[in-house]
Amino acid sequence: MTDYGHDLLFGSFITPANAAPERVVGLARLSEEAGLDLATFQDHPYQPSFLDTWTLLSYVAARTERITLAPNVANLPLRPPAVLARSVASLDLLSGGRVELGLGSGAFWDAIEAMGGRRLTPGQGVDALREAITVIRALWDTSERARVDLPGDYWPVAGAKRGPAPAHPVGIWVGAYKPRMLRLTGEHADGWLPSLGYLSSLQDLDDANARIDDAAHGAGRDPRAVRRLLNVGGQLSPRRSPNLLAGPPEQWVEQLAVLALEHGVSAFIATGDDPTLLTVLGQEIAPAVRERVAAERGGSAGLAPAALVAGEQA
Amino acid sequence: MSGADLGHPLQLGVELPVSAADPGAAVRLARRAEELGLDLVVVADAADDGGATGAIDGGGALEAWTVLAAVAGATEQVEVATRGLRLDGRPPAVLARAVASLDHLAGGRVTPGLAAGTDGDDPDDALDALAEAVDVLRGMWAEAEPGPLVLEGRHHRVLGAPRGPSPAHNLALWLGGTLGSADAAAGARTLAARVADGWWLGAHDPDGAGARLDAVLREQAALDAALTAAGRDPREVRRGLVLDAGSTGLGGREAAAPGVAVVDDLAALVLDAGVGTLVLSGADEPALLSFAVVAAAVRDRVAAARAARGTRVGTVRSAAVRAARAPGIDYDAIPGALVGTAVEPGDAGYAAVRSTYLRGGRPGLVLRPGDTAEVVDALAYARAQDVPLAIRSGGHGISGRSTNDGGIVLDLSRMAAIEVLDVATRRVRIQPGARWGEVAAALHPYGWALTSGDYGGVGVGGLATAGGIGFLVREHGLTLDHLRAAEVVLADGSVVRVSADENADLFWGVRGAGANLGIVTSFEFEVDEVGDVGFAQLVFDASDTEQFLVDYGATLEAAPRDTTAFLIMGPPRGGIVAAQVMAMVDSDDPETIIERLNPFARIAPLLQQQVQVVPYPAVVSVPQRHTSEGEPVTRSGMAEHLTPELAADAARLVRSGATPFFQIRAAGGAVHDVPADATAYAHRSANFSIVAMGSSRRRIDAIWDAMAHHFHGTYLSFETDPRPERLADVYPGPTLERLRELKRRYDPEDVFRHNYSVAEPPAVVL
Repeated sequence: MTDYGHDLLFGSFITPANAAPERVVGLARLSEEAGLDLATFQDHPYQPSFLDTWTLLSYVAARTERITLAPNVANLPLRPPAVLARSVASLDLLSGGRVELGLGSGAFWDAIEAMGGRRLTPGQGVDALREAITVIRALWDTSERARVDLPGDYWPVAGAKRGPAPAHPVGIWVGAYKPRMLRLTGEHADGWLPSLGYLSSLQDLDDANARIDDAAHGAGRDPRAVRRLLNVGGQLSPRRSPNLLAGPPEQWVEQLAVLALEHGVSAFIATGDDPTLLTVLGQEIAPAVRERVAAERGGSAGLAPAALVAGEQA
Repeated sequence: MSGADLGHPLQLGVELPVSAADPGAAVRLARRAEELGLDLVVVADAADDGGATGAIDGGGALEAWTVLAAVAGATEQVEVATRGLRLDGRPPAVLARAVASLDHLAGGRVTPGLAAGTDGDDPDDALDALAEAVDVLRGMWAEAEPGPLVLEGRHHRVLGAPRGPSPAHNLALWLGGTLGSADAAAGARTLAARVADGWWLGAHDPDGAGARLDAVLREQAALDAALTAAGRDPREVRRGLVLDAGSTGLGGREAAAPGVAVVDDLAALVLDAGVGTLVLSGADEPALLSFAVVAAAVRDRVAAARAARGTRVGTVRSAAVRAARAPGIDYDAIPGALVGTAVEPGDAGYAAVRSTYLRGGRPGLVLRPGDTAEVVDALAYARAQDVPLAIRSGGHGISGRSTNDGGIVLDLSRMAAIEVLDVATRRVRIQPGARWGEVAAALHPYGWALTSGDYGGVGVGGLATAGGIGFLVREHGLTLDHLRAAEVVLADGSVVRVSADENADLFWGVRGAGANLGIVTSFEFEVDEVGDVGFAQLVFDASDTEQFLVDYGATLEAAPRDTTAFLIMGPPRGGIVAAQVMAMVDSDDPETIIERLNPFARIAPLLQQQVQVVPYPAVVSVPQRHTSEGEPVTRSGMAEHLTPELAADAARLVRSGATPFFQIRAAGGAVHDVPADATAYAHRSANFSIVAMGSSRRRIDAIWDAMAHHFHGTYLSFETDPRPERLADVYPGPTLERLRELKRRYDPEDVFRHNYSVAEPPAVVL
C-alpha cells in the first residue's frame, strides 16, 4: 500500500509513425482537446518508419497550447546529453514551460550501433545515464556562471557554457526496470516511467517502487521526490472483464484508482493510439479517477508540493 | 560565371532571432514574414556575432533545430532553413531522419544548412567530419539504394542503418555561412563545391553596397573556380547572402522609407553577382515590414530584367542526377513552377514515386503540380515530350497504369485538399490527390461519409473517375453517383467546369471514363450522413464452394441495402477453401447489425467471426504506402447473379490455385437506381463485381476467357488485360460510341491514352 500523494496526470503515448504525420500530430491535438495533461512520444531513432521524436515534439509544441509534451523515453545513446539539454530547455522556453524529459539508457544496441551510437553493456548504460543526468542538470543550472567541466567515461564535458535554463524545473523521468536502473532512479531522477506491459505483475510494480524508495532514502531524498508514472495499454469494451484495463470506463476508473492509491502511480499514459480511448480517458475516466482518489485521500490530497516532484538538484 | 545571374529562383527571407531572453520572438517574426509573403525564414546556429552565443555553445541562444521545428509547426507556407547547423552532438544518421521528418511534417519546406563542428582543435578534422556527415545524410536519404547504409569513416561510423525515409521534396543541402580563418573558409568552399546544393556566402561586413558587391563577387569567383575544378556546373549551387539590417539601411529609422538605391543594390546582387537568396538578419518587426516592401520591388525588378534578358530560371541538377536522365525528355524545359517539386531518376526521392501499388515503374520524370495552373503547365510540357504520359492520384490502381517506363508521370498527390463547401447540402470539394482514408477522417466530424472502396490508401482521382465500389455501394451507389461538379483540365490546356448544367456531355463522360478525357483537378460531391457502422469479418468453411457461392449471392441480393459485403477466397489450404467475408452494416444498433448478419452466418460453418461497431473511418483507414515491382495480372467481370453455372466455374478457378486472390464485391443496390446511359459507367444491372488476381497471365486468361459468357462487362479499375477487345467490355456499345464522340472533340490527339483509350482505332494498351 503506497501512495506518494502526487496530483494525478493523464496522457497519451503516441507512435510517431511517419506514414501519416498528420495523424500523429492529430493525436497530440486530440489529447489536448480531450483534456489530457500529457502527450508523449516513443523515441526509437533507429526505426526508419518513425518520425524523429525530438523534431516531432518541437513541431507539435507549436501546434498545441496547453498540453505538456515529453519523449517517452528519449534514447540517450543517440541523443548526446549536451545538445539534448539545450534542446529540452529551448523547447521548454518556446512552449511556455510545457516540456518534461523522459530518458532511457537505450536497449537495442545492435540498432544503436548501426546508427553510429556507441555500444555499451547494460551496466555501462546505467553509468552513462548517470553521467548524462549530471551533464543535463549542470547545463540547465545558470545560477552559477562558471563553465561546466565534467570529466567522464561516456559524456565528458570540457568548458561548456551553461544555459539556456528551461522555463520551469523540467523533470527527468527515467525508464527503468532492472535493479541498477531503479537505484539510479531513486538516487537521481524526478520520475520513474516504466510501461506496464514490461512488468510481469503488480507485485513487480510494488517491488520496483520499494527499490526506488530505498535508493532515495539512501541518497538522503524523500521518496516522494520521484513521481511514479506508468504507460498503460488497454481497451474500452462494453463488458467488464477480469483483466486490467479491458472493460467499460467505470472499470478503468476503479482500477486506475487502485493503481494510484495502493501502488503509488500518479500518471497514466495510454498506449495504443486509439482516438476513442484517449477521448474517453480525458473526458470521463480522468475526472472520475481524480474524484475518487481525492475522496480516498481525504484531507491529505495534494500533499506533495510541485517542488518535490520536479527540479531535484543533483 | 562570376559576375552573372545564375538564374536561380529568387528567395527573399529573414533570419530569426534565437535569444533565450525572448523565446517567442522567432515564431512571431516567422509568422509575420509569412503574412508579408516572404519566401524563407532562417535559423542560424553559427556563433557569428563574435562568438558570444551559439546554440551548441549554449549561453543565451536557443537550440537551432528545435527552433526550426517549432517555427515549421507555427507556419504553413514559408520555407524554413538552417544556416551553419553544427554537427557536434548530433549523430548524422539521426540528423538525417530529423531533417526528413520535419520535411514530411512541414510539407516539403525544409532546407538544412550545415557547418563543421568545433569538436577538437583541428579545423581540417572538423571539415573531414562534416564531409563524412554529408555522406551519411545523403546515404540515409537514398531510400532507393539497395541494402542498409554502411559508412565507416574516421569520425562517423554507420554500420548498417536502414535507409530512409527520403525527405518529402527534393531538398537542397547547404553549407557555409560560418566565420573562420581564410584557410577554413577555403576548405569549406572546396567541400561545398564537391557536395553541396547551396552555399551561404560569408557574412561580410561591408563598407557600403559597392564594397559588398565586390566582396560577394570575389567569393563567388572562388566558389565557381572550385566548382569547375570539381567538374560541376556553377548553376548547380544556389548562393545565399545574409544582409545585416543595421548596415544595409534596412533597419532602424532609415527603414521607414527604403530608397530606390536599396532596391538597386539588392537587384544587382541577383542580376550581376549570382545571389539567389537574400536574407535580412537582425531585423525587428518594423525592419521586416520595410524589407517586405523592398523585397516586392526587388522581385519585380529581377523578374523584368530576367524576362528582358531571356534568363532561364531554375536550379541545375547535379551531374550525377543529370547522368541518370531518360532519353526523349527535355529536362531543361521543365516549367519553372514545377522544377522544385519534380523528381528525376537520380533524385533521392525517386524510390518513393517511381512504382505504384502493384506495378513497378521507371518513369523518366515525375511532375508534382500543386494547383490547377501547374497541372496546365505540366500537361503542356508533357505533351511536347515524345514519351508516354501517365496521370496518378493515389497510385493504388490495380492495373498500375499510373506509372510507366521512361515516360512522364503527372503525380497529383500534392493536390489533396478536402473542404466543406456547404454544410446544409453536404457539399464538399476534394482534390484528386487526397486518399479515401483521409476523406473519411475529414468528413467523420460532420457525421458524414462518402462511399469509396474498401481501402483507405486509394486516391480520390482514379477511383472517382472510374466508378467507386465501396462498403456503402448498395445503400448509396457508386462514388461517381455523388459527383455534382468537377474542374477538368482538357488536353489543350483549357480548364472547364463540368456539371449537369455546364459541359454536360463531359460531365457524363468524366463519370466512368475520366482518364480518357482530361485531368480532374477538383471534385464536388454531395456526401451522406453516416454515423458509426457495424463491421464484420467472417471466415467461412466454403469447401462446398459452388453451393456456398450460390447461397452467398442470393443472401446478399436479398439483404437490405444498408448491408454491403465483399468476399475473398484464395487457394485451398489443407483441403479447405476458406471464404473471408467483410460486411458493413450502416447502423450502430447491435440488434440491427446482428439481424443483418444472421442470414450470412447461416450459409456455411463459421471458422472465425469478429463484429464491431466502429466509426466509418476505421473501415477505410490510411495504411502505409506500399509499392511493388513487376506487373500485375488481374481479370474483372461484372455479373448480375451468382448463378450455379458461374459458381461452378468460379469454384474450379479457386480450386485450381491459379488465383491467390479472388474477390466478389457487391456492386448493386442503389447502383441500379441510375439508368445505364446516365453516366459513362454502364454496368448498372450488375449485382457483383468479380476480380481474379493471377500469378500467370496465360493461365488466368485461359480460365477467365472460358468464363466470359457469365459476365456483362468489365470494371475498368480491376482489369489488366491488354487485348483490344476488352475495351468493349469496359465501355459497352452505346457508351463507347458516345465516348468516342467526346474523344474526337476534346482529345483528338489521344493524349490521355494510358488507361484503355477509347480512341479509334483502339490504341494498344501498354
